[in-house]
Amino acid sequence: MEQKITGAEAFWRSLLEEQVKVVFGYPGGQIMPVYDHYWNYQAQIRHVLVRHEQGAIHAAQGYARASGIPGMVLVTSGPGATNVVTGVADAMIDSTPVVVVAGQVPCQLLGKDAFQEIDLIGMATPITKWSYQIRRAEDVAWAVSRAFYIARTGRPGPVVLDFTKDAQAGLVDYAPKPCHFIRSYVPDPQVSESQLDEAARMIDEARKPFVVYGQGILLSGAEKELAAFLEKGAIPAGSTLLGLGALDSGNPHLKGMLGMHGNLAPNVMTQHCDLLVAVGMRFDDRVTGKLDTYARQARIIHIDIDPSEIGKLVPVDLGIVGDARKVLAGLTERIAPRTTREWQMEPILCDAVEKHKVIEPEIQPGTGEINPGEVVACVAEAVKGEALIVTDVGQNQMLAARYSRFVRPHSFISSGGLGTMGFGLPAAIGAKIAAPERTVVVFLGDGGLQMTFQEMGTIMQEGTDVKIVLLNNNWLGNVRMWQQLFFQERYSCTRMLNPEFTGIAQAYGIPSLHVETREELPSAIRQMFAQEGPFLLDVHVREESMVFPMIPPGSSVDEIMLNNEDWFNYGD
Amino acid sequence: METEKLFEITAYTENQVGLLSAIAGIFTRRSLNIEKLLVYPSQIAGIHKFKIITRAAEAQIQTVVLQIEKKVDVIKSYYEVDNERSCREIDDVRQFLQERETESNNI
Repeated sequence: MEQKITGAEAFWRSLLEEQVKVVFGYPGGQIMPVYDHYWNYQAQIRHVLVRHEQGAIHAAQGYARASGIPGMVLVTSGPGATNVVTGVADAMIDSTPVVVVAGQVPCQLLGKDAFQEIDLIGMATPITKWSYQIRRAEDVAWAVSRAFYIARTGRPGPVVLDFTKDAQAGLVDYAPKPCHFIRSYVPDPQVSESQLDEAARMIDEARKPFVVYGQGILLSGAEKELAAFLEKGAIPAGSTLLGLGALDSGNPHLKGMLGMHGNLAPNVMTQHCDLLVAVGMRFDDRVTGKLDTYARQARIIHIDIDPSEIGKLVPVDLGIVGDARKVLAGLTERIAPRTTREWQMEPILCDAVEKHKVIEPEIQPGTGEINPGEVVACVAEAVKGEALIVTDVGQNQMLAARYSRFVRPHSFISSGGLGTMGFGLPAAIGAKIAAPERTVVVFLGDGGLQMTFQEMGTIMQEGTDVKIVLLNNNWLGNVRMWQQLFFQERYSCTRMLNPEFTGIAQAYGIPSLHVETREELPSAIRQMFAQEGPFLLDVHVREESMVFPMIPPGSSVDEIMLNNEDWFNYGD
Repeated sequence: METEKLFEITAYTENQVGLLSAIAGIFTRRSLNIEKLLVYPSQIAGIHKFKIITRAAEAQIQTVVLQIEKKVDVIKSYYEVDNERSCREIDDVRQFLQERETESNNI
């Protein structure tokens, strides 16, 4: 019989059982037994020491989004745990599989306001798929495998384990306890054949069907099935922000990105289709605009693996619960083949207006200050769709989404539902560690970069090759834009006095360039990609930058501003 | 605006610490007042039963019930408008657990 081991060691053995390769973490008092045992597991598992726990969780999210494998976070109790809460909430709303393990005070001190004690389970419950307090060493193997099973299956999400110090120190006869089944939890619901028949009939009957898809396509690995479905039915489609990359940007059926700053065509087509087929998306308000007028003319089919999403916001004619890959394959089998659809004119007209009124003025202004979108387009030109694009939140995010091109899945990582500023830099670190063979570019603004700028230290220590493109306008650009448009140009608290970012990069030993003029930009981008290792490109962009098109909040998705003066009028 | 009515929601769950606050949170975030709450062992050994009375619009209750059922340790959740309660629910839960048992044996 094997000798008994501690719960802390059982933890590392359990991680090996789950094939964990990388842990993003930060040590502290109540997790020290676990960190002590890591000494013996350094050869098998890589630990990335971040500079702040928020950096650990966002890096784990970037890792998970780039690889599809759950990201792993290890932090201490109290402040260590509260510092990951933002990222846990972000992972919950964006369906990202992460497992967070936090230290906790010994059981006899629970509820007694001990040093660095907080009720983590109480805090984590509303923002996790599952959370559990490990109170005995015997439960470690069970809890860890259950955590990974829940995080990665069904609609993925974050799991939090609250690991008490006595469970870390306690002794156990360790044996792996793999989890493949929980009786109260059905992650892969059986798809109803009769509903597939019904949906296929509705699609065949439709004159103007339109598909809107989201990250569910990437999460279920349904990229090929989606392309085949659109091809067989000759059905046009629009992508949500997080769905980007699921289809090749050049796919003829893809009409662009949906939502507030999306392309004209897919938003207009939403209001003109006679059948809307939504797959793996959740009708976020940034996609639907005013709900009362959203696609009211159309019949609606909603396909999602999470039953509670069906009918949550948009009343549907048919809801199909199931994995997107299986449902789309089933539908493709059933629908009649079509070569063309009569309603291809709409996107052609919309695209022409958008190109003339929005895209060209943004990416080819010719003179004046550099536009932020121009920088994105210039990088896109250099990477030819091959790079993994990470963004922060705000104008940088919308422009990166609009002007990047994608030729393969898992190429766009962004904080969608929560809109977490500070996400970009650490997420890029995690993405690069998950996909070392890929070029990773992160676009961020001067606001978001400074929210998690300390992770430059992680980049330095780990030598992580991320290309950091700072769209620097010395404003909190998105809020400034809203103040200009909707708050009578009262620029309350959005002007930023910034440091010399290249000087900070230099202090971390990270090469950098500051760009002021259009002429310098292409060669600076070439230099950034020619340089091996991390690089900061600080581009001074137009201070009063705007992002268009824009569907103002509370408007219908076909009420679209093209610039400061013009509105889009379909049919003009 | 859809009219609000009294609904009786039931949930059959595993016996797990923290489930009460997890379920209560689904009501709290919508400002739904719980008029009555009972938690007790169901007729099936080891399975707990929640009975929750609340006032809301039916469309909202449908999502609430699905979000309750979405919790990993919740087995089934239902709602009913009036007081006529059939014995279908408990049979449904029994059948579900039997099917899951078979599935688990096939893994």
